[in-house]
Amino acid sequence: MQRIFNLACGSFYALGAYAGVSAVGWYVGAGGPPALFIVPLVLAGLAVGAVGFVVERGLLRFVYDRDETFQLLMTFAIVLVMEDAIRMTWGTAPRSTAGLYLAYGQIRVLGATAPVYNLIVILASLAIALAIGWLLTRTAFGRIIRATADNRDMAEALGIDMRRVYAKVFTLGTMLGTLGGALVIPATAAMSEMGIELIVEAFAVVVIGGLGSMRGAFVGALAVGILRAIAISVYPELEMLLIYLIVIAVLVVRPRGLFGAAEA
Amino acid sequence: MTSIPRSRRQFLKLLGAGAGAAAAARLDGPPVSAQATGPVKIGVLTIRAGVAAPVGAAGLRGTEWWAERTNKAGGILGRQIQLVVEEESNPKDTVERYRKLILQDQVEAVLGGISTGVTLALGPVAEDLGTPWLSWDGTTQKGVEETMPNPKWAFKSVDNEVEAIVAGILTPKYFKGIKTVAGIGNDYSYGHDCWESYQAVLKRYIPDVKFVLELFPKLGVTDFTSHIAAIQQSKADLLMCSFWSGDATIIMKQAAAVGLFKTMKGVFTTAGGVHDSLKKEFTPEGLLLGYNTMYFDDPKASPLLKQFVREYKAKYNEYPPYECDHAFFNAESYKVAVEKAAGSSKKWPEKAQVVKALEGLEIESLSGKRSWREDHVQMCNFYQGITTHKNAYDFVTINPIETISTKQAMKPAGTKLFDWIAGWKV
Repeated sequence: MQRIFNLACGSFYALGAYAGVSAVGWYVGAGGPPALFIVPLVLAGLAVGAVGFVVERGLLRFVYDRDETFQLLMTFAIVLVMEDAIRMTWGTAPRSTAGLYLAYGQIRVLGATAPVYNLIVILASLAIALAIGWLLTRTAFGRIIRATADNRDMAEALGIDMRRVYAKVFTLGTMLGTLGGALVIPATAAMSEMGIELIVEAFAVVVIGGLGSMRGAFVGALAVGILRAIAISVYPELEMLLIYLIVIAVLVVRPRGLFGAAEA
Repeated sequence: MTSIPRSRRQFLKLLGAGAGAAAAARLDGPPVSAQATGPVKIGVLTIRAGVAAPVGAAGLRGTEWWAERTNKAGGILGRQIQLVVEEESNPKDTVERYRKLILQDQVEAVLGGISTGVTLALGPVAEDLGTPWLSWDGTTQKGVEETMPNPKWAFKSVDNEVEAIVAGILTPKYFKGIKTVAGIGNDYSYGHDCWESYQAVLKRYIPDVKFVLELFPKLGVTDFTSHIAAIQQSKADLLMCSFWSGDATIIMKQAAAVGLFKTMKGVFTTAGGVHDSLKKEFTPEGLLLGYNTMYFDDPKASPLLKQFVREYKAKYNEYPPYECDHAFFNAESYKVAVEKAAGSSKKWPEKAQVVKALEGLEIESLSGKRSWREDHVQMCNFYQGITTHKNAYDFVTINPIETISTKQAMKPAGTKLFDWIAGWKV
C-alpha cells in the first residue's frame, strides 16, 4: 500500500525471534509453567512490533515520495543497523529456547510424526491470514487501506489522514513480522543474520505471488515452501535453483505475479 | 633511530602490494631487528560477525586468557603482551587488516584465522610480509589438498577434514551392521570435503556400504524440516552431519521433533563446537559426537584445562569449546619459541629465529601435548565419543571418550588425501 519495497521486513522477523527467546527465557527463569510458554512468546513478538512505528515516523516517511532507489537504500540501511543492534544486545552466539519446542508433544499423522507446536504455528498462521482478510474486506479501516493502495491522492482528497494510516499500517505489518519471528523460534534458533536469509525468500514469494497482493503473498509463500520441500526430497541440488527458475519464469511470462494488479 | 628506514621500508612494501619482482627482491632481505623493549605487540585476527562469530569469540577468549596469565607471570622475556585485535571477514578485507597489523601496528606475530576461505589468501601474504602467522583454525588447503607445502612464515591449523576421518574410523566401531548412510553438511568446501573424506574412510572399513543421500543446505539455513523428511525417506541406517554452528542445534531439535534418531544412528563430526546448546531434551544418547581438539569435561584433563574451564565458566557462564585450545596453543607455542630462540642470551630474537624454533616444537596446551609438524601444520588429539545424559549439565556430554591423534587421522606431509586413505591397512 505504501509502495515501499521494504528490505527491513527480515530484520523485524529477526527482532521478533530474539525478543521471543528472551521473553521465554525470563518466563521459564521465573518459574512459569512450560505449557504456557507460547503466551510470553506471542506477547513479546507483538510488543517489539512497536519498533515499526518508530521506523515509519522516524525514517520511512521521508522517502515515500523519493525514488525507489532511496527507499531500497534506506530500508537496507535499517537492515544493517538492526543486525548490529541485535548483535550488541544479544551477542553473536545463536540463541534458542532449549527443548520447549517439544513441550506440546508429537502426533502421528498418516504415518509421519509431527510436533504439535508446528500444528499450532500453522493454525496461528491461518488465523492471522483470516484476520487480515477480515480486516481488509469487512472493516472501515480495511476499506481505507484498500482505497489508499488503489489511489493515494484520491483517498487523501477524500479527507483521509495519510500519516495516521501509514503509521498504523506499517506498525501492523511490522507486528506481523515480529510475531512471525517469535512463533518460529522454538523450532529453530535465533541468529543475527536470519533477517537477510528471509529477505531473499520473501522476495521470491512476492515476485511469484504478485507485489502488493495479500492473496498472492499467501499463495506465493505456500508455493515456495512446498516446492523447496519437494525439491529436497526428489533432487536436492535443485532446492534453491528451482525457486529462482520459477521467479525468472514468472518475471518473463507474467511480470505482475500470479495475483498482482495489472499496471495502470 | 630505526624508525625512518622502517617506515620507508613499510612504504615500499605498501607500494609493492601488487608486487613487482624488484619489490619481491627487496622483501627477501633479512627482517629488521625487532625493538626489544617495552610491550610486545601481538596481532589477533578473529571473526566477530555471522555464523562463525561464536567460534571467533572462543578463540579470542582463549588468547586473552593466555595473555593475562602470561603477563601475570612476567610476560615473554620480561616484555608484557599487548594484543592488537582485528576482524576477520572476507579474504580481501582481512588481508588488508593483516597488512595493517604488520606494517602499521608493527606486531611481532599474528595469531588467528578461522575460515579457510580467508586463510588461503592470508598464506601467501604472510610469506611476503615476513612475520610469523599462526592460524587457529584456517588452513591453506584448496579442498583437501595443500597449496603451501613448504611455508616459511605461515603456521597452519589441522587439515580441515580430520574430524570427518576420525568419525569415519569410529563409526564401524560403535555402529555395527551399518549398510546405508545419508549425509548432510553445509554447502561450501568444509561440508563437501568432510562428506567425501568420511565416505572414503568408511568404505575402507565397510566396503559394501551405500551412500544413499547427500544434502548440502547453505550455511545459515534455520529450517531443516524438509531435509529431515528427505533423510527419513532415505531410510538410511545412519546420518552423518558435519554442521558446526547454530545449525547443528537446530537440526538436532528438528530431528528430535520427528523422532529421527529413534530409527537411525547419528554421527555429528563437529557439533561439539556448540556442545552446551545440545540440550538433553532434544539430543538423544547414543550419537557419535565430535569435540574437535578439546573436550572440556575430560576426566583425564590436565590441571591447566581444569583451571581454564573453571575460569571460563565463571567469566562467561559457558563451557569452553575447542577453538580456545587452538588459540591457546598458537599463543603459547609462540611464547615458547621466542624463549627457545633467545636461549641463554635472553635477547629478543629475530622473527626468522622464532619461526625456526617453532618448527617441530611440542608444548603443553589446554588439551594436552600439541606440536607443530615440520611443514607447519598443527598436530594434536581429536576427541569424539558417544553422547550420554549421565552428567550434571543440562546438555549432553560423551562417554566413552575416544582420543585419536592426527598422527593416525591426518594425511602426512606431501601426500594426497585419497591416495593415503586408499593405502591404509584396515
